[in-house]
Amino acid sequence: MSESLESAPAAASGREPLLVLQKLDKRFGATHALKDVDLAFEEGEVHGIVGENGAGKSTLIKVLTGVHPRTSGEVYWRGNSVPLVNPHEAIGLGINAVHQEVVLCPHLTVAANIFLGDEITHGGMLSHRAMVREGQKLLDDLGFKLPAGALLSSLTIGQQQLVATARAERRGAKFLIFDEPTAYLTRQETAALFKLIRRLKANGVTIVYISHRLEEVFELCDRVSVLRDGALVGTRRVAETNEADLISLMINRTIDQIYHKFSVPIGETILEIDNLCGPGFHDVSVKVREGEIVGLYGLIGAGRSEFVQSVFGRRPAASGRIVWRGKEVRIRNERQAMDLGIALSPESRRDQGLCLHLGVDLNINLPIFKRLSVGPFINLGREASAADRQIRDVQIKTAARRAPVSSLSGGNQQKVVIGKWLNHGAKLFIFDEPTVGVDVGTKAEIYRLLGSLLQQGAGIVMISSYLPEVYELADTLHVFRGGTIVATHSLKGASHETILTEAIGV
Amino acid sequence: MSDQSVLKSRRSGAGLNLLLGLTLLLLLMAMWFALSIETTTFWTSNNMANLLRQGAMIAILAIGETFVIITGGIDLSVGAIAGFTSMMVAWLLTHDLGFTSSIAGAISCTLAIGIFIGLFHAFGVVQMGLPPFIMTLASMYALRGIGLLITNGATISITNDAFTGFSRASFLGFPWTDGSWFAVPMLFWMVIVVAVPAYLLLSQTRWGRYLFAIGSNKEAARLSGVNVKAVTYMAYIVSAFCAAFVGILLAMRIGIGNPTQGDGWELQAIASSVIGGTSLFGAVGSVHGPLIGSFILTTINNGANLLNLNPFWQRIITGLLIILVVYFDTLRTRKR
Repeated sequence: MSESLESAPAAASGREPLLVLQKLDKRFGATHALKDVDLAFEEGEVHGIVGENGAGKSTLIKVLTGVHPRTSGEVYWRGNSVPLVNPHEAIGLGINAVHQEVVLCPHLTVAANIFLGDEITHGGMLSHRAMVREGQKLLDDLGFKLPAGALLSSLTIGQQQLVATARAERRGAKFLIFDEPTAYLTRQETAALFKLIRRLKANGVTIVYISHRLEEVFELCDRVSVLRDGALVGTRRVAETNEADLISLMINRTIDQIYHKFSVPIGETILEIDNLCGPGFHDVSVKVREGEIVGLYGLIGAGRSEFVQSVFGRRPAASGRIVWRGKEVRIRNERQAMDLGIALSPESRRDQGLCLHLGVDLNINLPIFKRLSVGPFINLGREASAADRQIRDVQIKTAARRAPVSSLSGGNQQKVVIGKWLNHGAKLFIFDEPTVGVDVGTKAEIYRLLGSLLQQGAGIVMISSYLPEVYELADTLHVFRGGTIVATHSLKGASHETILTEAIGV
Repeated sequence: MSDQSVLKSRRSGAGLNLLLGLTLLLLLMAMWFALSIETTTFWTSNNMANLLRQGAMIAILAIGETFVIITGGIDLSVGAIAGFTSMMVAWLLTHDLGFTSSIAGAISCTLAIGIFIGLFHAFGVVQMGLPPFIMTLASMYALRGIGLLITNGATISITNDAFTGFSRASFLGFPWTDGSWFAVPMLFWMVIVVAVPAYLLLSQTRWGRYLFAIGSNKEAARLSGVNVKAVTYMAYIVSAFCAAFVGILLAMRIGIGNPTQGDGWELQAIASSVIGGTSLFGAVGSVHGPLIGSFILTTINNGANLLNLNPFWQRIITGLLIILVVYFDTLRTRKR
């Protein structure tokens, strides 16, 4: 296996390298984001790039797409040195990227977005009808079931990503970078995307595929490169490596250290919910006991998030019974839920979890300012020490206590979202997709954190679209479909296939 | 926990604002220095006291406005509120309504009107879901109209000398550089009276933290247990209350009540706030920023007068300054 590890940028096979990086280096002030990266991308290969959050993957994309000029090193495109100093130059060469966060215009139609900057015109006037017609043809060809005339904002994030892909396809991309494309996609959408990637590859397009989901890398890629702390630690042929090997390259840790199931004695019932109905879900009955992880698995849009938000008082339930530690309660708003002892770490960090431009300390202390105050005034010493304690306990890597959360890597941002509830003293923790877009090392840390909460006698509800995670960790696993629970399993009580089938409903 | 780090953490949301604040203070000083050299009339105890008096009202408006802007909103009605309340306090003082026509009664009644207007704005924004721009724009028109209806377009003269005398009064002072006595005008003390509690509210209480949180991400704030509605109400009430306070000072200063007064002051207040480092996108702002910003604007006006510049130039300079300051601010945020 070690012989496939390349030290020279030249391609291992006889195929022509399309893009070669030589001693590519990038610094942001004191931060050394990319360290002498030597890498060659062959024409028509799917090249996976994996690494923990903060390993330099995003920086690499930004250098390749001309967003950030490199500090030193060379980039060769078909053997010619290219400066890559602005995005126009990169697009002109044929380098395109589909980002995790969609960068399109939500108020325009799908077709208008596909043709943005390259509109079809008749005598200087936009021809909307022609664009919708052409756009629809393109989407149909690609196998995406999307309406070209619809407003972009009416689509899900996953569907918007497909639109971004179609747009790149139309611009004649020769080198296409996908950054975590499946994070928000359903299984069907993922399948359509994979089909497209394979077709692009057959047409000779070089694909760079960045993902935390290693099983996707193995399904899709020809070769995979591992970044760690800004340096390239290895490039492997996918056929000659395995998941454990990649993970150990990424983090210097083995896989069974990641899913560590804490066995905690199950205690009394904390929350019992009978036939709860509300916006987006119906007839849901769930019981959570001390020391227990209750997993909610299902496809995106199955009603899981709507259900937990209702329990947290965000959108109060219409009917049903909620019994909290033996007493029937009605939860009308978030503050009531918090006062009972419920904590919710929401699905989307950006939209629901964080005040991105404010400090780590403010974000962490937000739920507990009342307790840090004497009368109306905040005890500044306690505010600082409470923040410091959480930053230390959940190991948030931040330059300063007051540094804006936006300056943190994704994994550290997620630790802020979770960490802010640890001081609150909740009895029931609801984690909605706690590890989405988070690297393996951080995942392991988050799982350990769940374990320590259980040991303190808390109960946990965990929503996840990533089956291995709920499968390995949940004591009770509920499968959601169409807004309600369709099956319930005990720990590892059914096979992956069974659970998947139940979630999809075939 | 060392005192140093506690002190640092205090600026949490507005950390870099301190730097901008110092830069602005230097700019203000530089302007004063240049004017002192350029003219003989600027650096006199008389003119400087006058400058503090002139700047006081916009400063108070700007502080209140900043609370709304931090939540990501805007209050276009503060000038209209000042005009309307200056009329109201004059109307109350010139009628015979028992306690409400005494000075104390008229002032408290007018401040209550300010609170009520703030409640109304917040009701429109929070309960009816109107954009703050629209809600306060509508209120700006309507308030001037109500004022004109009540007075039938006439101006109310205030004959109460005890009331109007306050604007000319001063409290404490110190010897000036030329040996004359510098008496700190009462109007400037009123800025302090507003600024100190405003600073405490914004920087030292949890509601201040909530204001920033709402301005940054309303949904995240709500899911962290922040009572978004109540805090939004607070912001609009603070803004309207400050504007009503200014209305009273205005009536004292000019001795009349007229609902068309204070025209365009909302824009001066917003400009002061923006020059002072407040971000119109919300979640960035302070109390010292708009305070310095408003006195920079006043100095431009005052200096232009003394330099015998065409008064129209004042507006041009103000416009350029706004572009310049906000541009520097963008540079700063872009670097991050």
